[in-house]
Amino acid sequence: MSYKNQILKWGSISCLALCLLSACQKGKYINETGNLVPKTVMEDLALPSINVNGAKLHAQAFGPEDSTLIICLHGGPGANFRYLLNCKSLADKGYRVVFYDQRGSGLSQRFPKEWYLNYGADAIDKTFDDDLNGIINHYKTKSNQKVILLGHSWGAMLATRYAGKYPNKINGLILGEPGGLKWDDVFKYVRNSRSFKLWSEALNDATYLDQFITGNENDHNILDYKMGQLSSSNTIIGDIKSNLGVNGNYYKSGRDGAVISAAMFEIGKKYKPDFSEGISQFQPKVIFFYSGNNKAYPDSWAEKISSTYLNKKLIKVNAVGHSGMFDQIDTWTSFTEPKVIEYLKSL
Amino acid sequence: MKKIKNVGLLVILIAQYSNTNAQTLNWKALDNTKHILNVNLGLDYSLSYGLGYGYKLNTKLPIVLNAIFSMPSGKTMFDDFKTKIGGQVRLFNKSNFVGSVSIFGVYRKHQTDLVTLQNFGSDMKGIIGFYKPKWFVAAEVGFDKAIVTNFKHSQKYKDEIYVNVVDGWYEPATGGNFYYGLQTGKSFKRADITLNLGRVISQDFKTPLLLPYYINLGYNIRF
Repeated sequence: MSYKNQILKWGSISCLALCLLSACQKGKYINETGNLVPKTVMEDLALPSINVNGAKLHAQAFGPEDSTLIICLHGGPGANFRYLLNCKSLADKGYRVVFYDQRGSGLSQRFPKEWYLNYGADAIDKTFDDDLNGIINHYKTKSNQKVILLGHSWGAMLATRYAGKYPNKINGLILGEPGGLKWDDVFKYVRNSRSFKLWSEALNDATYLDQFITGNENDHNILDYKMGQLSSSNTIIGDIKSNLGVNGNYYKSGRDGAVISAAMFEIGKKYKPDFSEGISQFQPKVIFFYSGNNKAYPDSWAEKISSTYLNKKLIKVNAVGHSGMFDQIDTWTSFTEPKVIEYLKSL
Repeated sequence: MKKIKNVGLLVILIAQYSNTNAQTLNWKALDNTKHILNVNLGLDYSLSYGLGYGYKLNTKLPIVLNAIFSMPSGKTMFDDFKTKIGGQVRLFNKSNFVGSVSIFGVYRKHQTDLVTLQNFGSDMKGIIGFYKPKWFVAAEVGFDKAIVTNFKHSQKYKDEIYVNVVDGWYEPATGGNFYYGLQTGKSFKRADITLNLGRVISQDFKTPLLLPYYINLGYNIRF
């Protein structure tokens, strides 16, 4: 038998073996919801949800309904509110605390990328701003009920934007490390917070995955899974595993929103939104936390970003990373929460 | 037949115990060559490096069998690697223009603190270019397909992200990327220095990859 025939023979056998291997397996589909990532409110009807601005959002509220409303805005774009759940303790102090996964994020309803892009420069207004309007209207029970926004990272950017746009609707802002407020600063922060060394394990863990899993533009289950793999570790920003105590029981499985994240970065790059627009109209005091362990957020950056607010209190939270002021229960209980309560009482 | 078995065994052994990214050949410099050893360094979904082996069959249609093993850099050794076993066939040779194809079976592993992935896939590439005994330049187009993948998640993933994650083999195909670019090289009496560079895009031509380029510098020793 010639070499050519031998190669053809063994090549055919190998292909057949691979086909048989595939055929013998009971198929599990990577793009089937519930396999690699949890189901959203669209598939799991037991999840707490509300309908707002044409979207079904995963949302939970705690505390007396008529008391001061504290609405928590998570980071991202595309993360979820699980890591903010330590703030639930404010409900025990008499406040009404609302958590929700933003549109396309966490366990909330997904939308195709084009859906966001079609709004062009108005995308953030039509989605995040209008959704937040809907959230406030849904949970506000009386006209004189105070509304406070508590935002972290991307959520702090959204909170700032909303307060600048509707200064009379918001009574206070509690912010944690907004990356930037003008798009160029956002871009610079994102670049600095992801500036891994070319030869590092962290970078290779992120990039190597692309040869195992690729998803089409709107394959939410696949892309969300990949984003979850990537966002779980970043030594630059100093985050460690969230410590939520028993609060974690209120949100057992989390999920990222890759499509909304990609869409917002695309929109940001194209239209360069200014999240600080109108914030000079906002009179109430702002409390601004930043961490000691986030290498991409030094004192100078915190001072630069917070300089936009007219009346602010800048507080450094030592020994934690980007999310630590909220997601580390010891830090929250002993440091952040007392400062927050002091602030709320001052309003 | 016995010779084939020996070659196959050697190929498998080298795939298991050495590492290489790709083996780029100058088809016009393979006269009197039986064995090709290769070392290389480059960007291939990561900064990676490796070794490889090629065996040229004594056939009318030039065929080189290859075993390739590559590993990305990083502090944890052998948590990620890729092996390829297959071959390259020269399809035509006309007035210094040479066309060839390569077909590889791929086995790759990727491990993080959240998941261990094992994948069987394929990598097919077509190459056409201008070849002289001392140098060559060619265009290459290929498709790297992840056909079937095993997912095994860590307790950390279950604790921190999704408690009910379903482990096991996932199919049909979990991923695929096209790549296209150039390859060039300078050949010496018993060695080649080669360079491949180009772009990688996902199979839907839309979703961007984190590292959308590849570049690979290789050194072949022929004997």
